[in-house]
Amino acid sequence: MRFLILVFDNLRRNIGRTVFTALATMVMVLVVTCVFSILTFLSNVTSEKAANLKAIVTERWQIPSQMPFSYATGLAEGGGYEADHVRIKPENSMTWSFYGGATDPDPKKRSNNTILFAFALQPRSLLEMMDGLDDLKGPERTQLEADVKKLQETRNGLIVGKDRMKNLGKKVGDRMTIYSFNYKGIDLEFEILGEFPVGRYDNAAAMNIDYLISAMDAYPQNNAGKTHPMANKSLNLVWLRMPDQPTFQQVSEQIMTNPAFKSPAAVKIETASSGIGTFLEAYRDMIWGMRWLLSPAILFTLSLVISNSISISVRERRLEFAVLKVLGFRPWQILMLVLCEALVIGTLAGVISAGGTFLLVNYVFGGLKFPIAFFPVFLISPQAWWWGAAIGAGTAFVGSIWPAWSARTVKVAEVFAKLA
Amino acid sequence: MFSVIQIAWAHRPEVLAVFLVLIALLAAASKVPLSYNIQNLMVRIPTSLMTAAAFMLVVALVIVMLAFVNGMYTLTQTSGQPGNVILLADGATDEQFSSLAMADVGDIENQPGIRVLNGQPMVSRETYIVVNQPIDNPPPGRQKRRFLQVRGVDDPVMSSAVHGLKLIPGGDWFSSAGVGQVAGADEAAQPAVEVLLGAGIARELGRDRWPDAVAKGKNAERLDVGDTFRLSERDWIVAGVFESTGSAYDSEVWAKQSLVGPLFGKENYSSLIARTENAVAAEKLREYFLNDYSKAKLAPIVETKYFEELSQTNVQFLVVTIIIAVITAIGGAFGVMNTMFAAIGQRTKDIGVLRLLGYKRWQILVSFLLESLVLALVGGLAGCLLGFFADGWTVSSIVSSGQGGGKFVVMKMDVDLAVLSSGMLLALSMGLFGGLIPSLSAMRLTALEALR
Repeated sequence: MRFLILVFDNLRRNIGRTVFTALATMVMVLVVTCVFSILTFLSNVTSEKAANLKAIVTERWQIPSQMPFSYATGLAEGGGYEADHVRIKPENSMTWSFYGGATDPDPKKRSNNTILFAFALQPRSLLEMMDGLDDLKGPERTQLEADVKKLQETRNGLIVGKDRMKNLGKKVGDRMTIYSFNYKGIDLEFEILGEFPVGRYDNAAAMNIDYLISAMDAYPQNNAGKTHPMANKSLNLVWLRMPDQPTFQQVSEQIMTNPAFKSPAAVKIETASSGIGTFLEAYRDMIWGMRWLLSPAILFTLSLVISNSISISVRERRLEFAVLKVLGFRPWQILMLVLCEALVIGTLAGVISAGGTFLLVNYVFGGLKFPIAFFPVFLISPQAWWWGAAIGAGTAFVGSIWPAWSARTVKVAEVFAKLA
Repeated sequence: MFSVIQIAWAHRPEVLAVFLVLIALLAAASKVPLSYNIQNLMVRIPTSLMTAAAFMLVVALVIVMLAFVNGMYTLTQTSGQPGNVILLADGATDEQFSSLAMADVGDIENQPGIRVLNGQPMVSRETYIVVNQPIDNPPPGRQKRRFLQVRGVDDPVMSSAVHGLKLIPGGDWFSSAGVGQVAGADEAAQPAVEVLLGAGIARELGRDRWPDAVAKGKNAERLDVGDTFRLSERDWIVAGVFESTGSAYDSEVWAKQSLVGPLFGKENYSSLIARTENAVAAEKLREYFLNDYSKAKLAPIVETKYFEELSQTNVQFLVVTIIIAVITAIGGAFGVMNTMFAAIGQRTKDIGVLRLLGYKRWQILVSFLLESLVLALVGGLAGCLLGFFADGWTVSSIVSSGQGGGKFVVMKMDVDLAVLSSGMLLALSMGLFGGLIPSLSAMRLTALEALR
């Protein structure tokens, strides 16, 4: 205990140096925490899971994936089957179609304030399958359930994220017509029924797929019997939820061997992590740089800063260490004294910085907006609290071990001879 | 204020030159010999080296990040021909989502303003497809699939002329049929699709090869003429490789449109690229197709503007780089403050003597500030040298307009004078910020206080 008091007393003696070292640590731990959070999130979403898998069925060769909507039912069932074979069905499924357009029919006036991309889906999917919404609890869940019920009953309804609604200058209850650019000629009037909970869907919108399909079915009646060019391309992807890997393998085999899914569009099925991984392939060098250049460079720089600070401190306190030795302190105790001073600054500064980053980024800024793939924001992981401690302590230890060793080897006779 | 920052950003080497001249003028005006400061840095060599090393790492890191962003800007800026106009279907935001009716194409090509080459209008008819390709031999930790950009063209000679692309000697255009036999393959086997590869994607696909294929191949670094790869359950054979232009086309696979269109369910053309005499003529043609051409509704865009709009991701990455640079620089500056405060703490007697010798307060301030700037200069130069090794690194990335659509690109990182100037300016800013407060405290000491 007295040892700790001595450590804190020493830190207080040169408060400026202590503060600057702590500030340097906090600033650099902030950057590393953000980088680690992004890397951890990407690693999690691309790691194969052993249970509760999500599989994605898409067009086999092309992006954007475009399949006939007639595939939806068969895929949700897990592919066709022979009468005498056992068929494995996914636990749950969700279809995705993307309807994009603008509130102004003139393409020249298109801007972020007029554009809307909506997920066209079965409303129940928002509660059962959507990441970040299926595990909502409390008042947010209750509100979303009410909005989903309205969407089921009101086919031309929309649930919109708050940022998208703000950009469009609309609010819940407003109506608008969207002039589509990917479903040309199918312009739809919507009523905004509700708002997504704040978070990853702030810029998103969701509509009822039945509305789009009905419009596509009605198209020939108003267009001299011609089917819409997107008639066989309106299903973009299908999510299937499976309990484990063996089920995934079985369903995968069922779908891939089914001739019904070969024409007009061949399909492929992969786990969600594998599908996301393919999109992240384009960013592999950037992710490599973040992991093996950016983070180590900042950590090394932090070690240098701490090492510099501790070295200066040790150099100024040679007389003090000599006196401590005369008073009976052993060399290892002096080593520990210096190390503890560094570890206290590093650990405390690291925890405050990482914890502060967690609170500020997640609850004030709503996440890190970093342009990787289709992820709108990255949240700081709750593990940041111990990352901060570990980074601060680790860099402090590495940076201070040499100055601490130098303090340990102070020669009493030399110091007093110089003084004399 | 923002326009001042923009102007400064656009003229970073000039700003650095001004900064250095100011430092030289300060050194001259200070009258405290710079050798005094340098000698003191040498006396405390471990501390000086550690501080300079911290500068070096921060500057090198920022240079590498800026080189990445610079490479993306170079790619989007060199990818378009100023005289080219891209004609997309009305309402399409990108060629990935565009589908032109075949019937309209003939008339569009014969409009006035389009250059003629060998009696033919210089128009490239193209179908742009992004294909999901399984990777046969992924290294550990790599994904098993990639997105491959395939461009179906009718006439590769005309299309290459429109885009200003040339083949590396030894290669040839693909045949009119667009297919060819693989050497040694069974005559009854399905013929391979002949392709032209961009230099970047040729290297990328070359890495997929098994070691024995690399040993047998003509070029260990990339796919070359005669090499094959698999896509859509067919063999594809390389007929030629384009010379690298540092553009987005380096990352593309070109094949016969009439083959790849039906193969991937995109029979229509996605775009027509029309070549005009120059940038002014291109703008005139664009306006003609937008306002006056009535036979089909098109979304025309000058090619350079199209690629400029794909710089949206460049801007985002640049903003992130600047934020990281500023934050780490602040951290580094606190480290410098420690060093300088310690230096001043140990030299209070020196300060007292300097005051007694007649040096004014501002000269003391400038002297210590210069000491900090010398550290920054040394560390910054070392950082620039280290960061320069990133020049020419080949990396993959994506460029996008943010409105859907984007291009996966293989590009070279570009460390140019502007990037190096940014690194030096960052180092000097850290030195200035980190040294200013300690120098102010040194300046405030009276001779009596200093010598007590």
